[in-house]
Amino acid sequence: MRMLARRLFFYLVTAWAAITLNFILPRLMPGNPAQGLIERFNGRLSPGAVHAIEILFGQPHTSLLSQYFSYWGNMLTLNFGTSYAFYPSPVAQVIKQSIFWTLVLIGLCTIIGFVIGTLLGMFVGWRRGGWRDALVPMTTFLSSLPYFWFALMAILVFAVTLGWFPSSGGYGIGVEIGPTWPFISSAIYYGFLPALTVVVASVGGWLLGMRNMMITTLNEDYVLLAEAKGLSRLRVMFTYAGRNAVLPSVAGFAMSLGFVVGGAIVTEIVFNYPGIGTVLFQAAKGQDYPLLEAIFLTITIAVLLANLFADLAYIALDPRTREA
Amino acid sequence: MLTTADVAAAEAEELRQSRSWLRGLLVPKVLFGLAIVVFFLLLAFAGPLIDHTSPDTTSAAALRAPSLGHWLGTTQQGQDVLAQVIYGARISMEVGLGAGVLTTLWSVLVGLTGGYIAGVGSELLSMFSNVFLVLPSLPLVVILAAYLPNSGSTGVILVITATGWAWGARVLRAQTLSLRRRDFVEAARATGESSFKIMLYDILPNELAIIAATFLASVVGAILTEASIAFLGLSNVTQWSWGTILYWAQVSGAELARAWWWFVPPGLCIALVGTGLAFINFGIDDVINPRLRSAGPATLTRRDRLRLRLRSRPTAEGARTAADPAAPAEHDHGNERVPVLALRHLSVEYGGNQVPVRAVSDVTLTLHRGEVLGIAGESGSGKSTLARAVTRLLRPPASITGGEMIYTTRSGRQLDITGLSDAELRKFRWEEISIVFQSAMNALNPVLTLGAQMDDVLHAHRPQMKKVERAARTRELLQLVGISPDRAGAYPHELSGGMRQRAMIAMGLALDPEIIVMDEPTTALDVVIQRQVIETIGRLKDRLGFSVIFITHDLSLLIELCDTIAIMYAGQIVELAPAEQLYRHPQHPYSQGLLGSFPTLTGPRRTLTGVPGYPPDLRRRPPGCQFQPRCPQAFDACTEAIPLLTRREDADVACFLYDEATVGDNHG
Repeated sequence: MRMLARRLFFYLVTAWAAITLNFILPRLMPGNPAQGLIERFNGRLSPGAVHAIEILFGQPHTSLLSQYFSYWGNMLTLNFGTSYAFYPSPVAQVIKQSIFWTLVLIGLCTIIGFVIGTLLGMFVGWRRGGWRDALVPMTTFLSSLPYFWFALMAILVFAVTLGWFPSSGGYGIGVEIGPTWPFISSAIYYGFLPALTVVVASVGGWLLGMRNMMITTLNEDYVLLAEAKGLSRLRVMFTYAGRNAVLPSVAGFAMSLGFVVGGAIVTEIVFNYPGIGTVLFQAAKGQDYPLLEAIFLTITIAVLLANLFADLAYIALDPRTREA
Repeated sequence: MLTTADVAAAEAEELRQSRSWLRGLLVPKVLFGLAIVVFFLLLAFAGPLIDHTSPDTTSAAALRAPSLGHWLGTTQQGQDVLAQVIYGARISMEVGLGAGVLTTLWSVLVGLTGGYIAGVGSELLSMFSNVFLVLPSLPLVVILAAYLPNSGSTGVILVITATGWAWGARVLRAQTLSLRRRDFVEAARATGESSFKIMLYDILPNELAIIAATFLASVVGAILTEASIAFLGLSNVTQWSWGTILYWAQVSGAELARAWWWFVPPGLCIALVGTGLAFINFGIDDVINPRLRSAGPATLTRRDRLRLRLRSRPTAEGARTAADPAAPAEHDHGNERVPVLALRHLSVEYGGNQVPVRAVSDVTLTLHRGEVLGIAGESGSGKSTLARAVTRLLRPPASITGGEMIYTTRSGRQLDITGLSDAELRKFRWEEISIVFQSAMNALNPVLTLGAQMDDVLHAHRPQMKKVERAARTRELLQLVGISPDRAGAYPHELSGGMRQRAMIAMGLALDPEIIVMDEPTTALDVVIQRQVIETIGRLKDRLGFSVIFITHDLSLLIELCDTIAIMYAGQIVELAPAEQLYRHPQHPYSQGLLGSFPTLTGPRRTLTGVPGYPPDLRRRPPGCQFQPRCPQAFDACTEAIPLLTRREDADVACFLYDEATVGDNHG
């Protein structure tokens, strides 16, 4: 499991880098973000809250090193300060309320998009010629469209024109949040269009990547031998070609994931979905630095965890990584 | 040791490659992409000069659908959407190109340095890029943009550069690492050139294709990111870009007002530029990775399908029996040599866009039951193509263009392999003919255990077998080739080279086939292991009685192993003789030359002579006998006609030296 240990170490370094970046950025920026922020609260902050903001965004008359230690103290106790945009809620609470929505929506859509895109890419790469070749320029075009543009189109077509789905929100008005069927069905109904947007927008990227790897893999001797063995076409396509072609997609999951998550977050804004993307938008508009930094950190950690799962999947798929 | 000549040759090669990649870019998709990009560049820089409508001017004509007055309709404030799209092109392209250039420069700097310097510094740089690769860039962009509000397009360019460089740096680092070990770089270093100069003059020019690809991808990424930042209202929203238009459309609820003309055009513009750049990149990709251009196994042209349908008819009507008068009468004078596979005038051509190239030309050959038939020839002689043709494994653009391959089953039924339909072929494969490839490492699926790869043959062909029976058969087969049965659970990478090759042979025996085609099965092995594998084949053949087509360039090996040997040259068989006879008395000048170029393992010593010169370029075949330009005994007749295989002293030879008429002329 040396590979897994190495990856874990790398993710720890990345998490450290994200936190340190959060520490450095406001201190590098022109002006004094901490002071500006405190002033914008117009004296509504308790002395304790002011101190927390100073720890997070710059303490006057304190050495950088001791600032860094205090900063870590706050991070480890999940003290991210008070939100400006959602005053007087603490940042941690704002995130707690919204992260669940995002995790479910984006998590599911990423997986669905990956599976559909990879399967389509496998079919398109397996058999060339005819209508399948037209898929490549089409998907290229689709994957060059911004996610939020898809969201606008989805609302125009399915919500406004056809009236099939609601155009905004995460659940029906008056529905109590809880593990009840009325809530779950309402959440699925409201989440359908955002989900569709993210899946449709992300499929193209996975498809193109898988198609190219499939074409490369089909030239391998083991695929030729599988054919010579008289195996069924599906067996050759899935177990011999596809199984090997998918490995780089899984290995490159990290890079693609960041892109998909970014796009999905902006999609939430268009649908006014109660997830972390919409909160990010509010925070950016109000220059709510405590909330912004906490969101960045939360998304980073979520992405790192997703990567860890991708690594586990890779180890499961490729026996060569299981060497001691 | 590297001589200056070597270095010069390497440099010439690099130059040739760089020129050919430029030529490879002149393909329709690249030109199409270029046309789109150039159009938008013109729109960005000259558009505002042609369309004088101001994008800011408001009017009472709010939310009008496209009309002659407003081609793309109006916004809620009655502004002209077309004017906004044209003005917006300027900022979007400016940010895209600006961030693209900066991102690429930074990627090149980090990637090149990280790849060229070794040690801790390189590892740290690599870690640095990987961290930035994993950090979700959009939230980071949002934070940076929030700290730098209203900073205009320069700020946006800097923010995009800061978050988008890591992918390019990683790709370039990998490329630099591989280039660093190449001879021409080593040579430059040996001459004491400075690292900076080597990076600039030796490495950088060889990465131009990848740098170009990185640049184009960065531009696409930057245009998309700019649109996102603007859409979130984080850039200066009073400055028109495609993203700003979308911002105002969304803020004003254009999608709820069904004002599609407001937000559809800027989105399409972004996607069109992205597609254009991606098309140029596809062209570059094809040049970097030529495999992407090759066709898949299931790719058939309409012509191929038609021909296959026509071919399969005779077998569909019922296979010919041995009594069929059309069947070749090959019963050798009461001898019990029963033909199992008869190739009749078999030809294989590589099609493609240019003139078809004939890799196998009019080959007629018979393999008898229990016989080991060796096929020898230099690389490019068509021997491997022949092996692929017999197993019907040719991939486009290669295809069988003529002749037949008559296979006789144990029950005496005959069928033409070239005419089998897909389903018939699947049943026929491995059951009747199996194949062993040169490199078992490449021929075994790396993600399946040995057992699973043997099991799926049994599963496909013997559906009635139970799982336990299949497992028992797998163990039996492994034992047969001297591999401990408990290695069935091992993955290919866990076995030694010799073991892998023996496992391949075990797999080939799984269904007791009549014929095993062995395509250079020992070439990749060292001499000791080679011996083991050859002994295994010999032992199993005696015990199980299958026939073997053994393909190699190693003639001495064939002489030991084979009953009959066919010598191939430029796609044709030039001599077909019993092994003993070929060894004692090779008749074709090429056979004589080949025999002279290998030491035999047993047998008397002799001087190695070899065959000077190179095999002909199949696209420009020489006139007459294909071997004639290299033949020490060539004479006038050799350039005039192609000699045919004719019987002489228990052998078939295609050479005018043994043709009474021509030789008579020559000597007379």
